This record gives sequence, structure tokens and C-alpha cells, in this order.
Amino acid sequence: MENIVFQGCVGLSLAMYLWLISAGLTIIFGVLRIVNFAHGSLFMVGAYLAYTFYGQIALPFWLAILLSVAGTGVLGLIMERGFLKRIYGVDEAYQLLLTFGFILILDDAVKMIWGGVFKIPPMPEFLDGAWMIVGRPFPIYNVFVIAVGVLVAIVLWFVFEKTWWGRIVRATAADREMASAIGVRVPRVFSGVFVAGAMLAGLGGAIGTPVRVAAPGIGTAMIIQAFIITVIGGLGNLKGAFVSSLIVGVLSAYGTLFFPVFELFFIFIIMVVVLLVRPQGLFAR
Amino acid sequence: MNKKLTGLSIAIVLNLLLLWTGAAHAQCKLGVPAIKVGVQGAASGPHSDYGRQIEMGSTMAAEEINAAGGILGCKVEIRFMDDENRAATGVRNARLLVTDWGAHFLVGTDSSGVAMAIGPVLAELKRIQFFTHAATHRLTEELVAQKGIREIVRVSVPVYQDAIIAALIFKDRKDVRRWATIGADYEYGYVSWNLFKETLKKYRPDVEFVGEAWAPFLTLDFAPHISAVMAQKPDAIFATPWAGEAVQLLRQALIQGVFDNVQVWWQAMGGSVDVLEGIAGEVQKDRFKGKLWATARYIHNWPDTPENKAFIERFTKRWKRYPNYSAETTYSAFFVMKAAVEKAGSLDTAKVVDALKGMQIRNPGGVRTFRAEDQQFIYNVPAGRPMMDPKYPIPVLGDLKIFQAQDYYRHPPFTPVSIAK
Repeated sequence: MENIVFQGCVGLSLAMYLWLISAGLTIIFGVLRIVNFAHGSLFMVGAYLAYTFYGQIALPFWLAILLSVAGTGVLGLIMERGFLKRIYGVDEAYQLLLTFGFILILDDAVKMIWGGVFKIPPMPEFLDGAWMIVGRPFPIYNVFVIAVGVLVAIVLWFVFEKTWWGRIVRATAADREMASAIGVRVPRVFSGVFVAGAMLAGLGGAIGTPVRVAAPGIGTAMIIQAFIITVIGGLGNLKGAFVSSLIVGVLSAYGTLFFPVFELFFIFIIMVVVLLVRPQGLFAR
Repeated sequence: MNKKLTGLSIAIVLNLLLLWTGAAHAQCKLGVPAIKVGVQGAASGPHSDYGRQIEMGSTMAAEEINAAGGILGCKVEIRFMDDENRAATGVRNARLLVTDWGAHFLVGTDSSGVAMAIGPVLAELKRIQFFTHAATHRLTEELVAQKGIREIVRVSVPVYQDAIIAALIFKDRKDVRRWATIGADYEYGYVSWNLFKETLKKYRPDVEFVGEAWAPFLTLDFAPHISAVMAQKPDAIFATPWAGEAVQLLRQALIQGVFDNVQVWWQAMGGSVDVLEGIAGEVQKDRFKGKLWATARYIHNWPDTPENKAFIERFTKRWKRYPNYSAETTYSAFFVMKAAVEKAGSLDTAKVVDALKGMQIRNPGGVRTFRAEDQQFIYNVPAGRPMMDPKYPIPVLGDLKIFQAQDYYRHPPFTPVSIAK
């Protein structure tokens, strides 16, 4: 029993990384109708920036995280304003090509800037160590990750449901022509949403750096899971992304515990079942 | 006068050209413009330092060989390609290097999965590859000893190093009875664990293997794997993820308090330079409490020979980094190739393979002896515990346990080891 509770907590922390990356992916799809394959690469850039700000320049941990998130946001702005906005009107295949191109470019760019060797900064001291949960040491760092994930969920919910800005975004997502007709500056909304999504990916990457690593290719590792999650939750659905992150994170942790040999299939089985029963995703309207 | 001068200069230029081309050809006794060596390794992703180290080792070896007059007067030319740690890419590269570029030899390959895919292709391409990292025993036991693919030669150590040495070290530890693995989820991880279990069980019928968790390449979070095996309360962990993944795994194990609860952690390739650099801070603070053990396919602080010291000096001067094992094994593979070609007096695959018979060669990593049955070079590499040494800026392996490779390597005829997880 203790082991089940403990593994569940571990799964919860896994889920939060998944949530941070799939939240941005699903918001961007929901509003811009862009399937951003390079979203994982933004996650990777967030990780590298955190390594530079925290591991190399030795800024305080919080500041380093904030700067990494801001930096990823700037990169997102460049991507959206400079490139993506040119292909909103054209065939979806172009989105695929463009965002896939970004994966290759960013993977090589980080290799040129940071080199091929993985980077891992020291652990921030106040997050080092463990708390006892059901008699077993649970890393404080994972508690921190869970807290950040939940906080982001609350903030996103508040922004989307309770603010004027959130209403504009929802209106644009529902019908961009109508929104434009009533005076919403759609291109600005698009930029804002894309930057926000990029920042979420950057945050996911940045808070992982001290325990995970920054390395070329980690973006591609994340993007597949993120896509599975958004498909399960319903493309463009934020609540769906949160719930399916939890499902996938916790179940894959249990998979490792109970079915170590088949663990990898677990997440795909969930996706297949959801696609068969509810092809539009668990929470799609 | 002008005409005369022009005529003279043309004559001079022609002469120079003749001299130059003549020199290049006259010197090379093998009748080729250069000996071309195709080199491969994983140069992208979290394991990319290994490909980079293979590239550094091969570049330095070629530079040194050429500076000393080449091989039988022939210049060595190398071309490095990234195999992306993928079997399909490795095979494609091998074909491209041989058929398009005209490689006479191939060198490198990090992953066992990639090596097993390239192996059969070599017979078809009729080119020898000197393998310098991939460790699955099947490469030499199955493909060479059983199937007779003579184009496979391994200069680096097989999984005997990862698995058998661990069993030999810990067989006398009566306090360590319950073993669990956190394994790399592919060939290398499975065969290491199975060979370890098989060997240890012979010495210690009382040990139990209580848990396993498998992590594929590009695993970012080992937390569920660590907590899953720790749920079985093991005394010791046998871990085979390597490179950046080994560093992640060890650091994530630290924050789960694993080193308060186990007696031993065996990190198979933990003696590699990138891993030692990655855990330097933790080693300095003694956070592994002396329970972390590791080996490698060569370690920069062993053997204590003039050859190794000189190699380290040249390497650090050339690249501003310490060589990891894939750099040493690749560097040494070039000198194995040089010796074999010189003895054969030919680039012919069969003749070069014959020339390897009975070869004993002194490399930075020690004396390597060729074993003809499985075309495996045999040399000693110790295991030890990562610790700081004032002579080096990064951790070294200390408390070294040295075993004779002659004794602990598996011998032909080979009995099969399970390759399932």
C-alpha cells in the first residue's frame, strides 16, 4: 500500500512536467489552429537557458527560471511574428514543414551554442533533500515541481475564465472572424497566445534542469508524450490537457512499478482506447 | 626575355607538380592516394559526447600517424559521420562510407543495437570495422565466433566488463544479498543484467534478484524507475543507463535518498569522463558515501604507464578535455589497423584479418591481445569508486579492483546468455 501511494506521488510529479508542456501546445492549437511540432524544442531551449542563467552565470534560482521563461517567450515571439504568421492562411502541410524545420534548426543551434555534451547545473540547496511520505524519502524537488504545476493550472484557469483578456482569447478561439468583426485585434491575440504557450514550455524545461539534463534531443522526447496527452484530453482543451497529464503521468509511474517489461506500451494503450471510444478526446465539446 | 622567364616558370611549376604528385604516390606502397577510414559514433542527443570523443580520438590518431609518415607511406584520411544512435542510420552510413566515399576501413559505433545491425552488412561490403564502444557479447560471440563474420573486430571491452567484474567484486559482500536493476531498455541493458545474474548466482546461490525497471533512450525522469525498484528494498542496484542518462539517474537517486538505503550502486559505465564530470560536485561532497562503484572501457587515471601519461598529455593539449574510453579505444583502433596493414602489406580484408592473428599491441589503455576465435582484443580495465584525486580536475576511479581479463572474459565455445528483459 505504501508503495502504491508513493509511486502515485512520483507519477504526480511526472504529470506536472507533461502538463506544462502540453498546456502550451493545446492553447496554441485551440486559438491559432497551429500544430506546433517545435513546441518540444522550446522546452529544450528553456532548459538550456536555465542552465546558462543558473549553472553558468550563477544567478539566484528564481531569477534564472524567470529569465529562462522570458527568453523562451522572446523566441516564441520571433517564431510567430517572423514565420508562423505567414502561413496561417495556407495548407496545413506547410505548418508541419515549418514547425518540423524549427526542430532541426533549434537542435543544431543548441549544439553550436552549448556543445554536444549534456549540461546539468548543481541542485539549488533549498530544494535539495527529501521529505518522508509513507515512510519513504520523497524528493523536495518533486514537491516543488508539483507545486509549480498546480499553481500554473490555477493561474491559467483564472486568466481564461475570470479576466477580460481570457474572454477575448476564448472569443477568438471560438470564431476568429466574428471576433475580428467586433474589434478584437486577432493578430495580437495570436502573438500573445503563442508567446504564452512558448513560456509554458520554457518553464517546463527550466524547472527540470537541476534534476534532468539539458541535452540536444530532449525536446523530441517530450513532444511525443505531449501530443499523446493533448489527443487524449481533446486538442485545444486545457482542462483535458490537465486531466490527461495526470492520467498519463500517474499510470506510467504505475506501469514502471507493476509491469516493468511492458511499461512503454501503457501510454499508447490509453491513447488507443480513448481514440476508439471518444475520438474527439475526453474533454472535447 | 619575357618568353624565357615564362618558359622557365612553367617548367618550374611543372617540375613542382611532378615532384608533388610523384612524392605522394611514390611513397605510398599500397598504390592508393590515401587510406580512407570511415568513422561513426552517436554525435547527437544526450549521448553525443561519445560520438564526439570517437571523433577526437580518430582525428588525433590520424594526425599522429600522418605526421610520422603514414601507414607504409600512405596518408590516412578520415571521415566522421553521426549515427544518431540509430541502427538504420548506422547501416546507411556504413554503406555510404564504403560505396560512395570509398572507405578502406570502418571504425567506431557506440550502441550495441547499431553494432548488431552493421555487423552483417560488413560481410557484404567486405570491409573490416574496428568496433570501439558497442559492448554486446553477441557482436563477437554470435556474429564472429558462430556466424564467422571476420569483418568484425572489437578493440573495446564487451559486456564482460560491465557484468562479470561486478559479480566478482560483490560476491564476497555477505551484506549484499538483494539486487535490483535500473536498466537501459535495449540489448546492452538486458545482456549486462542477465550475464551479471548468471555469474553472481554461480558464486552466491543465496542472492536474490528482487526488482527491475527499464528506461529507454531519452528518459528524462528516472524517478518512477528508482521508486519502483526501491519499493523492493534492495541492498544493491545494478544500473546500465549511460552518458548523460547515468548522471541524471545518479542525481535523481540521490534526492530520493537511495544512498541512505542501499549498500552498493554499480554504475556500469560510470567511469566515463562525461559521467565523472557530471557528478563531480556530488563526489566532492561525498554524497554517494563510498557506495558508488563504476567501471569503464578505459579510465584516464589507469594504467600508470608512460604511454598513458603521454597520451593524456597530448589529448588534453589538443582538445582541452580528458579522453573518455571511446576516445582511447578509437585512437588505439587506428594503431591496431596500422600494425595489421603494415604486417599484411596490403589493404585486402582477408589479409589484414590474418595479420591480426597473434597481435599484441601496447596502447594507452594497456597491452591488448587479439583473440582469433571471436576477434576480440583482450585487455584489463579495473573497476573502482569515483573519488577526487588532487592530480586531476575531475573525479577518478580509486580503490581499484584489477582482474585479469584473460580469466574473467568468457571463452569459446560460448554458451548462450539470455537476451530477453
